[in-house]
Amino acid sequence: MDILFLLLPITLLFVLGIGVAFWWAIFAGQFDDTRDAATAILDDDDHAHPGPP
Amino acid sequence: MTDAMRRARRHMLARTGLAWLVMMQVMMLAFPGYLRDGARAPDAQASLEQAIVLMNWLSLILCVPLVLYCAWPVWHGVGRDVLRRRIGMDVPVALGILAAFLPSVVATWRGAGEVYFDSVSMFVAFLLTARFLETCARQAVSGQTHPAQDAGLLHAADRLAFRFVCLQILLAVGVGLYWWHIQPGHALAVTVALLVMSCPCALSMSVPAALAARHAARLRAGTHSAGEADALDAATRRIARQNLHGALVWHLLMAPLAAMGWVQPWVAAITMLLSSLAVAANAWRLTRLAAPGSHGRAAGAIDAVAG
Repeated sequence: MDILFLLLPITLLFVLGIGVAFWWAIFAGQFDDTRDAATAILDDDDHAHPGPP
Repeated sequence: MTDAMRRARRHMLARTGLAWLVMMQVMMLAFPGYLRDGARAPDAQASLEQAIVLMNWLSLILCVPLVLYCAWPVWHGVGRDVLRRRIGMDVPVALGILAAFLPSVVATWRGAGEVYFDSVSMFVAFLLTARFLETCARQAVSGQTHPAQDAGLLHAADRLAFRFVCLQILLAVGVGLYWWHIQPGHALAVTVALLVMSCPCALSMSVPAALAARHAARLRAGTHSAGEADALDAATRRIARQNLHGALVWHLLMAPLAAMGWVQPWVAAITMLLSSLAVAANAWRLTRLAAPGSHGRAAGAIDAVAG
């Protein structure tokens, strides 16, 4: 029973941390376009570039 | 998509996601409360009661940001309705949230009585999910010009939702008072269930979802002949009407069950989400019909739906 006094605040901290991380991810634009990121690699320019020697 | 639309969608997504996070926590914390009436030794019962009090307090702490931040669009909508002196769909939603939340706060403070934090959080999370879908659908069709038929259909759906809200609030208050006379202990749960179900989420997203699906179908199929376009329009109107009638039938079926006290508030919240998802899924069928690669078949399928 007493362990609840420790575990419940830890739960709250975790929820808070996840909520803040989620909030940050949304407003950093990570969920704006969930489709094109997966295909972006296929649209890459495959022509050989003259690299640095 | 304009910057304002993108910002609106981000805010909506943040509110919805955080509501789901809170809902999952609160459901877990509500679980000991469900076990309260089982048979067990007196000391076990005492420690269970103690744990329930603790968990109710934690649920309360989690629900305050849910009600203030996540449900902000609801309060905003109610404020707008009050200024315009009319009843919109936010009014029953706000009543439902308050009717479940405030008695739960009092019960937590006194350390005795039923709490409905699980129902509150589920209601808000599911409501926001439906609204998020509706926002996406409305944003997708906002740039288009609507022919008169579409505008008429949109208008008809909004009017129907408005009338429904008025009826459902009266029903909830009437039935709540009736239960208050017969069995005061059940009155709150029945009223909350009815108010949760009075939310016309599925009704108000039925037509925008169909129009958005047609927009997506057109983009996918590319340019097609006038005949195909007409068939798609007919299929869209048919699906919009199906959505509208389906949502209406759901309300008519569920309301009597809730009035008789057979539907718990959280069950009402789940059925509300399911009806909204069913409307979205039904609208999504349009885009599948017009998928590229099945072009010849698609036209036939659209004709079959438009029948």
